[in-house]
Amino acid sequence: MSPRNDENTFWTIFGYLLSGLLIWGGIGYGLDRWLGSGFFLLGGLLLGMGSSLYLIWLRFGRN
Amino acid sequence: MLRVLAATKGVEGEGFNPPDAGDFNLPPFIEGNVFATKPILLAFLSALLIATFFILAARKASVVPSKLQFAGESVYTFVRNDLGRDVIGHEFMRFVPYLFTLFTFILVNNLFGIVPLIQFPTMSRISFPYVLAAFTFFVFHYVGIKRHGLISYLKGIMFIPGVPRPAYVLITPLELATYFLVRPLTLSLRLFANMFAGHLLLLVFFLGGEHLLQGVIGLKLISPFSFAIGIALTFFEFMVQCLQAYIFTLLTALYIAGALVDEH
Repeated sequence: MSPRNDENTFWTIFGYLLSGLLIWGGIGYGLDRWLGSGFFLLGGLLLGMGSSLYLIWLRFGRN
Repeated sequence: MLRVLAATKGVEGEGFNPPDAGDFNLPPFIEGNVFATKPILLAFLSALLIATFFILAARKASVVPSKLQFAGESVYTFVRNDLGRDVIGHEFMRFVPYLFTLFTFILVNNLFGIVPLIQFPTMSRISFPYVLAAFTFFVFHYVGIKRHGLISYLKGIMFIPGVPRPAYVLITPLELATYFLVRPLTLSLRLFANMFAGHLLLLVFFLGGEHLLQGVIGLKLISPFSFAIGIALTFFEFMVQCLQAYIFTLLTALYIAGALVDEH
């Protein structure tokens, strides 16, 4: 791998982690606000973390 | 100008006023005209400088290049080969003008941060990186849509092959967010934050050194160290400024390359 690809890989992974937390964490936060509960935010963050790790594995770990 | 302004601010207060985000808020120099500010002036100046430099370098081009022609050509060759050809592949020539403009514009505007008397990186005002990232955003999506068609381009983003069907529920929103939100945001914020922080750092050490000079004898003796660190940081900033221009252009090229690939 050239340094060029490393750079891309690094920022792609960073982007996935960020969007995982933001999207699913955001959905959880919204559900909490809507339903007045307290556990959806945590669940959303965990789900987001998990799915972004899964996506990173799909993109870079499979072969 | 900023230096003097900030310095007087530091003197008239009780103690040392550390530089903060307010130091980036330069008021317009023509009263009431919001476009007559230093960053905007610098952006125009950079366009002028770049145009002049490359016109002069390209004029009277000869087989045995002059020093100026050599300098101009090395920048061009670097962008064309390292950022264009090696990243995008065989149809890179279409994008070289854009990449070249982007690279030189960002580079010169960043370098303004350490050029004596100018000393303000244009890109530390966030609107400039935002606009540049918006250009890149439109370019790579336009290229992708034109190549694949809107539907299959979006499909290519949303569904990566070889995943069990239910998993798409988890993954598709992330892919969409990455392509449409995170990419332009990280692109602009990275450039902005690096320039902002770098400029702030230089301000701290130079203004701090200046303030120490006005203190008692013991403090006066320390102040050279502050200036020395400031000078060392200036060289470090030079590196960061070049690197950030390179990364912005490189990622643009990578995004374009990603939009062009066939299987996606």
